[in-house]
Amino acid sequence: MEIAQSEYGAITAYDELLNAQLQPRSAAQPLFDYLNSLTAEELLARRQAVEATIMAMGITFTIYSEAGNIDRAWPFDVIPRVMSRFEWDPIQQGLKQRLTALNLFINDLYNEQHIIKDGVFPREVLEGSVNFRRQCVGVSPRYGVWAHVCGTDLVRDRDGTVYVLEDNLRVPSGVSYMLENRQIMKRIFPEVFQTTSILPVDDYPTQLYHTLAALSPRTDEQPVIVVLTPGIYNSAYFEHSYLAQQMGAYLVEGQDLLVGKDDIVYMKNIFGLQRVDVIYRRIDDNFLDPEAFSPDSVLGVPGLMRAWRKGNVGIANAPGAGVADDKVVYAFVPQIIKYYLDQDPILANVPSYLCMYPDQCEHVLKNLDSLVVKPANESGGYGMMIGPRASAAERAKFADLIRANPRNYMAQPTLDISTAPTLADNKLAPRHLDLRPFVLQSDQVYVTTGGLTRVALRKGSLVVNSSQGGGSKDTWIVEEMPSC
Amino acid sequence: MLARAAENLYWMARYLERAENTARLITSTTDVLLDLPSGATLGWETLIKAVGLDKTFGKSYTQANEQSIMRFMIDDERNPSSMLSCVKYARENTRTLRELLPEELWERINSLYLFLRERAQLATSNRRERYVVLNDVIAQRHAIVGLISGVMAHDLAYQFIRLGRNIERADMTTRILDINFAVSIPQDMPLYEVSVERLWMSTLKALSAYQTYRRRQAVHVSSADVVDFLINDACFPRSLMYCLNEIESCLRALPFSGTVMSAAQPAKNALQYIKGSELNAIQLHELLDVLQKDLGEINAALATQYFHAYLNPEQPASESVQ
Repeated sequence: MEIAQSEYGAITAYDELLNAQLQPRSAAQPLFDYLNSLTAEELLARRQAVEATIMAMGITFTIYSEAGNIDRAWPFDVIPRVMSRFEWDPIQQGLKQRLTALNLFINDLYNEQHIIKDGVFPREVLEGSVNFRRQCVGVSPRYGVWAHVCGTDLVRDRDGTVYVLEDNLRVPSGVSYMLENRQIMKRIFPEVFQTTSILPVDDYPTQLYHTLAALSPRTDEQPVIVVLTPGIYNSAYFEHSYLAQQMGAYLVEGQDLLVGKDDIVYMKNIFGLQRVDVIYRRIDDNFLDPEAFSPDSVLGVPGLMRAWRKGNVGIANAPGAGVADDKVVYAFVPQIIKYYLDQDPILANVPSYLCMYPDQCEHVLKNLDSLVVKPANESGGYGMMIGPRASAAERAKFADLIRANPRNYMAQPTLDISTAPTLADNKLAPRHLDLRPFVLQSDQVYVTTGGLTRVALRKGSLVVNSSQGGGSKDTWIVEEMPSC
Repeated sequence: MLARAAENLYWMARYLERAENTARLITSTTDVLLDLPSGATLGWETLIKAVGLDKTFGKSYTQANEQSIMRFMIDDERNPSSMLSCVKYARENTRTLRELLPEELWERINSLYLFLRERAQLATSNRRERYVVLNDVIAQRHAIVGLISGVMAHDLAYQFIRLGRNIERADMTTRILDINFAVSIPQDMPLYEVSVERLWMSTLKALSAYQTYRRRQAVHVSSADVVDFLINDACFPRSLMYCLNEIESCLRALPFSGTVMSAAQPAKNALQYIKGSELNAIQLHELLDVLQKDLGEINAALATQYFHAYLNPEQPASESVQ
C-alpha cells in the first residue's frame, strides 16, 4: 500500500507509525511487513469485509440532530495505531497517578476542603463550578473514590511529547468501541496477530465488574449490578447494552427502578421487586434524581440520592464527581497531584491560560489567532474555537463570550497533534488522532491496555469526535522483541 | 428478571412471528391469485379485514388492490404490522435485550432487517421477487428460532420468548384461516369444487401444513377437515391446539402462573366447539373472532402477572424465587 508522500510532505506533525523519513517506527515494523505482503486489492477487500462486519454486528452510534435515524455504522479505519509497550508503561503509570489524585481531590472538596484552606486551589474556582453538587457535601463514598470510571484524552505534540488534553469523569464513553475494534481486527486480519505480540484488551468488562462489585453495600451476597441508561435514543446506547451484556449485569432505565420507603433501591422484575446494590449510571447528574436535581427529569429515579447518601446503594460514577471534569480545574491538576501525593506529575498537562485571571485573560484575548479556546464545561468538542482556523468574525464572537463570562473559558496553545497513516483514496494518508485510555478505580486502580484511538477522517481536520466526522482505529500496545 | 425485559422479549418474539406469518399469508394470497379461475374474485377489503388492519389501511389508502395491499403489508412503516415494521420493532427490542440474548442472535436479526429494508420495495411490485424475498424472510426467521432453541439457555427469558411466539402464532393461524372469506367463487361456475379445494390447499401450504395434512387426513381437501386440522391437531406446530399446549407448558415453567393459566382456559374450551362439527362460513368466522379475543385475554393476564408485577403488593419477594 502506497504512502501518500505529498500529503505527508505538507504537514509537520509527528506520525505515530512513520518516522521523518517515512520509514516504519520499530514497533510498527511487523505491521508494515504484513501490509506490504498484501496487494492493494487485498487490503481494499479486507476493508470491505470490515465494513460488512460492522453492519452485521450492528456497531452503531447515534447523532443527536438526526431525528428518526436511530443509528449509524461506526466509522472505522483498518490501519491500527501501534505503540510500543516501553512507551505505554509510563503513560499507564501517569494515568493511575492522575486518577488517584483526582479522587482524593474530589473527596476533599466535598468534605474538609484542605486544599482550599491550604491555598493551593482557589475557592472562587469551586464557587464558579457548575458541576459542584451541594447535594453531595459531606458524603464519603467507599474508598473515598468518586470517579470510578475515567476516560482521559491524550494527544501527542510535534516533538513527540504526550499531553493530557482532558479528564472525562462524568460518563465517559467509547470503551465498547475499543473492544469491538479489536474483535473486528481479529476477525479480518487474523494473520498479523500471529506474527506480532499485541497485548489483549478484552479483560475490561471483568475489571469493570470487579470495580463495581467492590461498591456493593451487601458484602455477604453476590451484588446485583445494573447499568442505568437513558434509553435507546442515547448516542451511547449501544455501549450501555454492550457493557451490561459483557458483565452479565442488568440494563435498566429509570422507569425500571424505584426507591422504597426503606431508602433501598429496587428494580421492577417479573415477580415483584428486587434489591439493587450497585448502579453503573450512564446518565448525567442532573437527570439522576428528580427529587434532588432537575425536578422534570423523567430519566432518573426519585429518591436515588437519599439511598446513596445512606450508603444503601453504590453509584458509579458518584454524583458530583464531575466537579473535577472542568477545563479550569484541569489547569490545576499538576498542583493537585503534588499536593495529595507529593509526586511530580508523570504525564504533562497542556499549558493553560485561565480567563478568570485578568492577566491571563488579557493574554488570551491578544492571542486569539494562535490559541484554542474552550468552554469550561462542554464535552464532545462542542463550543470550542481553534484560533488559527477561525474566521475574524468567530474570533470576535469568542472575545465577547470570554469578556461576558471569563470563568467559563480557558485557552491553550494550538498543538500540532500527531497523525497516523489512514486508508484514504487507496493510499496511506496522515490523519490526526488522539487516544482515550479508560481508568478504573475502586479498591484498586486499573488502566486499559491502550485505549480508544479516535481519528479525524477528513483531511486536515483536528476534530476526532464521532458526532463530528471522526472515526476510530484499533490500538495496539505491542511487546517489542529484543533485537539480537 | 427485569419486567420490562420480559415484556420486550415477549414482544420481540411476537413481532418476528407476525413477520413470518405475514410472509406466509402474502405468499398464499399471491398463490391463490395466480390460480383464480376467471369469474372468481379476491376481495382485498375482506382480506385486510381478516387480518384486522382495515382501519389502519383506510388511513393511508383509498383503494384496496394487489399493489396497495402488498405495499401496506410488506414495507409500509405506517402499518405497525407490516413485515418491515415488525422486523424493525423486533430489532429495536433486541437492541434493548442484547445482554440477555446470545450474541449471534442480534447479528441475525440485524441482518434480517437490513435484508428486508433493501429488498422489501421490489417485493411489493414484482411477484417473482416477492416469492424469493418472502421465502428468504421465512428461512432467516427459522435460523433465528433455531438459534434461540439451540444456543440460548432455556431459562425464564426463554419462556417469555416461547409464550410470545405461540400466542402470536395461534392468533395468526386464526387470521389465515379467515382469509378464504375474501375469495368469492360463484357456486354455479364450472369446476367450483376443484377451485374451493385449491383454495384450502393454499391455506395449508401457507402454513407449511400440506404434507402433514395429507399424511394425517383424508385424501380430499375439504374446508371442514382443514379447519379441524389447523385448529385441533395435537402434533402440528402451527395448529391452535398445539400452540395452546405450548403456552400451558411455558406457564408451567414459570412461577406464579396460576392466574394466567386460568386465562388460557377459555381458548382451549372454544376449540372443543369446532371438533367434528360442520361450521358454516359465518359460524367459523365468529368462532375465530372469539378465539382472537381469548388469546387477547392471555396476553392481558401475562401483563398483569409479570410485566406489571411491581404493582401487586402481595407478590412475594423475588430473591427467594431466583
